[in-house]
Amino acid sequence: MRWYVARRLLWAVVATFVILSITWALLYVTEQQALTSIQFQAAVSGGDAEAARAAYEQQRGLDRPLWRQYADYMTNMATFNWGYSTSRGQPVTAAIADALPYTMMYSVPWTILTVAFGLSIGLYSATHQYSRFDYAATFLAFFGYAIPNFWFGIVLLVLFGVHLDLVPIVFDPDAPVFSLANARQLVLPVFVLTTGSIASLTRYTRAEALEYVEATFTKTAKAKGVSERRILLLHVLRPAAVPLSTILVADLLGLFIASSYLVEVVFGIPGLGQLSFKAIQNQDTPLVLATTLVGVFIAVVGNLLQDIAYTVLDPRIDYGDR
Amino acid sequence: MSLDSPRRRFEDIDWEAKRGIVLRRQTAGFLTTLAALALVFAFDYVREAPLFSPNPVLRDGWDLSQLDWLFVVSLALFVFYVLVPLATHRRMTAHYWREFRKNRAAVVSLGFLLLVFTLGLVGPLLVSKPQVELTQSYQPPVGLAVDSSVPLSCGGDVVDGRCHGSWQFPLGTTGDGKDILSLVVLGMRVSIRIGLITSFLIISIGATVGTVAAYVGGLVDEVLMRYVDIQQVFPSFLLYLLLIYLFGGSLLMFILVFGLLSWGGTARLVRSAALQRSEDEYVEVARCAGAGTGHVIRRHILPNVSGTVITNLTLLIPGLILFEAGLAFLSLGDPTIPSWGQTIAAGRSDLRTAWWISTVPGVFLFLTILAFNFVGDALRNALDPRSEGQR
Repeated sequence: MRWYVARRLLWAVVATFVILSITWALLYVTEQQALTSIQFQAAVSGGDAEAARAAYEQQRGLDRPLWRQYADYMTNMATFNWGYSTSRGQPVTAAIADALPYTMMYSVPWTILTVAFGLSIGLYSATHQYSRFDYAATFLAFFGYAIPNFWFGIVLLVLFGVHLDLVPIVFDPDAPVFSLANARQLVLPVFVLTTGSIASLTRYTRAEALEYVEATFTKTAKAKGVSERRILLLHVLRPAAVPLSTILVADLLGLFIASSYLVEVVFGIPGLGQLSFKAIQNQDTPLVLATTLVGVFIAVVGNLLQDIAYTVLDPRIDYGDR
Repeated sequence: MSLDSPRRRFEDIDWEAKRGIVLRRQTAGFLTTLAALALVFAFDYVREAPLFSPNPVLRDGWDLSQLDWLFVVSLALFVFYVLVPLATHRRMTAHYWREFRKNRAAVVSLGFLLLVFTLGLVGPLLVSKPQVELTQSYQPPVGLAVDSSVPLSCGGDVVDGRCHGSWQFPLGTTGDGKDILSLVVLGMRVSIRIGLITSFLIISIGATVGTVAAYVGGLVDEVLMRYVDIQQVFPSFLLYLLLIYLFGGSLLMFILVFGLLSWGGTARLVRSAALQRSEDEYVEVARCAGAGTGHVIRRHILPNVSGTVITNLTLLIPGLILFEAGLAFLSLGDPTIPSWGQTIAAGRSDLRTAWWISTVPGVFLFLTILAFNFVGDALRNALDPRSEGQR
């Protein structure tokens, strides 16, 4: 098992390496394009195209040999020397460190609520199949998935913020983390995100749990007089947790990265998503690169954790093969 | 399967004849269509897009871009590999329909999706491109009224100081006077393009990679599946952001990025199904009768996993449509093509006074996603009896 974990760890490093290389190649292509257009402009305005090219290459460090540029880029990435954000006037790492707490503020309660509600609604639906609650839960799941997060967000903001005046319309970044004011301004984003993500977890939990609700060992446990709660936790949830952990990481992570953009823009939360979005608008290349790469690293680490969780949760797994 | 097609009896077949390459009707039809398309494309390319351009009716919104060529190819694939088999195997179609009909919500959803599909296909012929017309701004939809201070000049009746909507703009207009009905209809074009082209890409790449990995095995399998691993880890959303930042956004890029990067799940699905099915008896029987690997894959494996793949797709496509709307809402999409997300963003600041601008496209988006989910759910029950209970 240790060997398996080590292999997965190594694999995560390789994946990161490949992804960084692809980003480098993309950047290289755009730099070359920019170079051509600068040369063209210099030639059109009667200047010396060759001098313009040399000046640009000098400034961007493009006059170094190709392998040198690549090695420097990789070293900078590995040592967290991610460049300087011109639009924010601070190092990129500092900008990310500033934004991260705001993203955490809504994503931590969101994750907890999604897991808690998703699992319990799914389990209840499975044990009470085709009951009224089950239908209501299925409908709710469909509804939450189908309603576009960003649209739902602005509608709720108008309803509760403008008409009913229950929540503030403008996000106040200076509110203390654990205060009523902060809780009030985070209620809507967390609610919108939870309704969107609870759907898939509920439905998968229901489907997985159904397999074990009818299983012979559950019936045996019931016949022995084991309590409902114990059956639910140890005989149904325990085996279902293995496939569910996959969905949790893969689905939630993907949703998280995309939703953080939309929700932060709609509610004006100055987190990572908005940082990245503004960087795109302001043409701030180091910041765009860093914020997208942070998302990629989160995905890589999440996948690694999921694989490790798999081995812990399912002792039957065969480590020799995948 | 093919009870309706005329059956050749044993003695009808000339067993001595050399078989050569035998093309089935639908494959032949598809290839012919592809060849014809390639010819038209070459003509269009060499003569620098003269097609449709002299025709002012077709021209508006029908200028053939790379996207439209891909769309037509996907449409051909859809016709020859979904509609034609359904039409030839009537008994199975009737069986699927009976199963599908049990879910009433799904039938209604299918109707809605067909409407969206048809309108998206012929929409540009019915509605004109929405124009900025400030005198017609903020017209409410038919049957609704708004305080007459909101629109610049009311197009309908004004009763008690409230402006009523008129049939000139059945769904109202936006802040710069664009007709919301035409915006909605043109937005359907975006959705059906995403739906069809990405499914074409995902099915063709995913099925090929999955079957090849399962059948060739060994090093090829390892390399392909490791690649899928990396691809699954890399969030396509972030790659798309990086690409639009570096190269500028377009719908073609969106479809290519998401189509070319989301087939990993399908490939895994097809691979595991192919590995499972290849142990089945009918595959062994076919092998004993002398069927080659290609034949087994095409005739026995792919038809068997097609149900799973199609259901998987009906759940994948709405996600992509939502993604596109979200990106358009952030104005990170294609600014030249009217889409639902764009209209929602346009009406965002007017929600207090002119709430319908964001709401109408929002409702259409919501209904489309919902319809896909219902149809996918019913399809899974109809096509894929193995997954009984996995709702």
